[in-house]
Amino acid sequence: MIDTETETTTSETDETLLRERLRDHPRPAMIWFAGVAVLVALEFGRLMSGVLQFGSMVSFVLGALASIPGWIGGNVGDATAPILGYVISDVLSLFMLFVVAVLLTRHVLPWSLAEAVDVGVSDRTLRSLERLAVTGVLAAVAVLLAFTPVGPILKTAVVTPFEMLSSIPTITSRELIPNQGYRTPDGSWEGTFLGLSPAVAWGIRTFLVYAYALAVIVWAWKGYTIFREHYRQADWTPRDDTVRRLRTHYWGLLGLVVVILFIVTALWAPAVSPSPAEQNIYSPYEYEIDYVGDDGELEAITVGRANLDSQSNGQQTIGPLSYDEYDRWAPLGTTPSGQNLLTHLAYGAQTSLMIGLLAIGLGGMIAVTLSLVTAYYKGLADTLTIIASDTIISIPAFLLVMMLSVIFNEGDHILAEPLDGAVLLGLIFAFVYWPGMWRAIRGPSLQVAEQEWVDAAKSYGQTPANTMRKHMAPYIAGYIMIYGSLLLGGVIIFTAALSFLGLGINAPTPEWGRLINDGQPYVSTSSWHVATIPGLMIVLVVTAFNALGDGLRDALDPEADTGGSDDTGAAAAGGGG
Amino acid sequence: MSRWRYFFKRLLLSVPVLFLTMTFIFVLLRMGPVDPVAARLGPQATGAEAERMRERLGLNDPLWEQYLDFVTSFLTFDLGQSWVVFSGTDVTTIVAITGPPTLWLGFWAILLPLFIGIPLGFYAGLRPNSGGDYLASVSGILWQAMPNFWLCIMILAVLRQTHGGGWLGFDWYTFGPEIRSITGTPDLAFLSINSIETGLITVPLLTGVDWGALAVDIKLILPPALVLGSASMAAELRIGRTAILETINSNYVVTAKAKGLKDRVIIWKHVFRNAMIPLVPVITNEAFLLIGGSVIVESIFNINGLGNAFFQAMTQGDLPLAGALLFIFTLIIIFLNILQDLLYTLIDPRVGYDR
Repeated sequence: MIDTETETTTSETDETLLRERLRDHPRPAMIWFAGVAVLVALEFGRLMSGVLQFGSMVSFVLGALASIPGWIGGNVGDATAPILGYVISDVLSLFMLFVVAVLLTRHVLPWSLAEAVDVGVSDRTLRSLERLAVTGVLAAVAVLLAFTPVGPILKTAVVTPFEMLSSIPTITSRELIPNQGYRTPDGSWEGTFLGLSPAVAWGIRTFLVYAYALAVIVWAWKGYTIFREHYRQADWTPRDDTVRRLRTHYWGLLGLVVVILFIVTALWAPAVSPSPAEQNIYSPYEYEIDYVGDDGELEAITVGRANLDSQSNGQQTIGPLSYDEYDRWAPLGTTPSGQNLLTHLAYGAQTSLMIGLLAIGLGGMIAVTLSLVTAYYKGLADTLTIIASDTIISIPAFLLVMMLSVIFNEGDHILAEPLDGAVLLGLIFAFVYWPGMWRAIRGPSLQVAEQEWVDAAKSYGQTPANTMRKHMAPYIAGYIMIYGSLLLGGVIIFTAALSFLGLGINAPTPEWGRLINDGQPYVSTSSWHVATIPGLMIVLVVTAFNALGDGLRDALDPEADTGGSDDTGAAAAGGGG
Repeated sequence: MSRWRYFFKRLLLSVPVLFLTMTFIFVLLRMGPVDPVAARLGPQATGAEAERMRERLGLNDPLWEQYLDFVTSFLTFDLGQSWVVFSGTDVTTIVAITGPPTLWLGFWAILLPLFIGIPLGFYAGLRPNSGGDYLASVSGILWQAMPNFWLCIMILAVLRQTHGGGWLGFDWYTFGPEIRSITGTPDLAFLSINSIETGLITVPLLTGVDWGALAVDIKLILPPALVLGSASMAAELRIGRTAILETINSNYVVTAKAKGLKDRVIIWKHVFRNAMIPLVPVITNEAFLLIGGSVIVESIFNINGLGNAFFQAMTQGDLPLAGALLFIFTLIIIFLNILQDLLYTLIDPRVGYDR
């Protein structure tokens, strides 16, 4: 904290901070922030439910981390004496809290005991004492949260307001533009938005989703140009050239557009899907829908029973752009079990996106960290990483993923629970893919480590961590983006292939590969759409990620040779599954 | 560093890799979340029976002793027995049965892309930015993005449609050699081998080839091989195209043109030969794709190969078989890597200098 502060003040004496520039000339920024406020207000409820989901994810991660000491202790206890297991799990818990305390004292806590108190003890001792004290406080808080009613009470107190806020209707919400209704005998629609047909109501809602997303992107771009025009001190930075090259790279732009469409579909899955997933897929027998029967009377039926009558299984077909018997709109038809195909696709996009981001994010982080460390220190660290990565690369990736996923699922491991194995799959992919990414960025990071500015940073007395973070990492970030984009396509294919084989992600969580498996027997019947449409979606999305990777490569590094190793990397993204 | 020192360093590195792989498989099988006894007897198994099994499998021994046993038996190719899928059969026997169909599939999956992908890539590279080039490039990109399993289903559906005379009277079942089913294991009995007794040893001797059976085997394997080779085909197309483009604009080709050589001579003698160099690693790398893809293709096309055996072992919880097969696959890949390094050392004098 102190180091960086002194640095910024010394190195930027003739420059003003962004905050000051904003204060001197607030008008453009105010206009832009007003626009952001409007955009946020329009989708406030959805944003809050996103925050809620993020919170539950964080709490799951914390729970998993907290269970590690108990697990290791339990294993040791089984092998030796039980008492030893308890001791080890306690020691490990305290150690983890100590690590947190170190991070807290270094980066978060605003004050420091070592400066406040001036006694005859050395700085170092004081610092350690301080960390131990914080560890003690953390342990007390942890015990309080885990073993007393304070924890659950606190949790409800935090969660409830968010739950209430997330139920506020937004412009794309189902409550505002409902598309589920029934047709009265005289031909008009009851229960839909403005009495329009479900198809039109759904069309309006979907259009609003993509229009809103477009507005957000346009506004973000506007923000960037405002920043560049009014608040950036430099007239030109290398990033400007990157952006300019990407803007004229039409193949890459095409990929970017499709990728954005994919991401928007995933994020707004509840709005894009014609019928809610909870009702249509997860618990169909707990919801009822109204319809007008043959005799003209209004009748109610559970969604589960209605689904049985609208199956697409070769004998009967609810094809794309059609209604089923119960006046439910199916833009892409239904699945062999009678569920809505588009609902499956939208939520399946969510699953794929989450696995992909988790895998590439985590794997990329490992790869970047290791590449920095190995390029900086070389020697033994390098050799060990080579051996570890060679081992993982030598095991055929698809088989390794398959085996890990089966073993963790069979063993009912705690990681296999969330989203029916999606999180587990993301972690497995991260483990399997980091060596490839590390190899891909190893060359560039070795080159950066040889640069003079790194030497200069070293001789100025920068700590190794700071040197790597400030002077090496920015040059590698571009490369990891390229490979990340190329590999994401591979992750999507592998995930689909696994669930096609009945492994990986279990029902009921929607997944594209399982849809293809469900529709496999009916490809050559009238229900051809079930397996064909998800397959085409995979082709489209994977092509888009490959194209985006190509575009990024050309934009970030125009002189990189376009043949050779880069293309084999792309080949790995497509093959296998 | 001399070339051979580089090669031997690589060779030496594969030893720890081999051991790490074995350790990894050991950790997964013995210390992972699946209990071997429960996997074999079912989750309800408790009490004396489970205890006996535990004793018999050596699970009560100290962990390091189990590990030593495991490593020594793997290194001596004593890969244990299958539990569920081929109950009680030695893994080596299973490999001997399931290996040949996979090799047959892999052979064609490497051959087909070579004879489709590279010529197409060269064609596109020789006519850059023409309609044919765009068609070849775009179809290559799409072909690459198609998931193998989806391609399998689609090809099967199309071929099944032709049964009994489909489009233009084309019937895949009767086209060429007649087959009853388009899926299934090729029996690979087209070579008749007789052995000659010479007292002490018997010498196997190739006495004839059953061309009809060979044709049936080839016809059975063509669709799955086409799918399995699809990714490599697209990669070869793209790299072949760039390689041609790069060589065609290089100085020695310009010189050859200035000398007044004929176009045909330039292309065959100067362009093609040099354009093949970047394709060599692509072809050797195909093994990775083939081993992973064989699981899917074999299980859809119902071929009794190694990949299908692995898939069965995984879905039925036959962990020793799966572990042993994984070990064999890894051995193959390590061996191929060494082979590739050896080839590089022999062919390319630059290796070891700028790496």
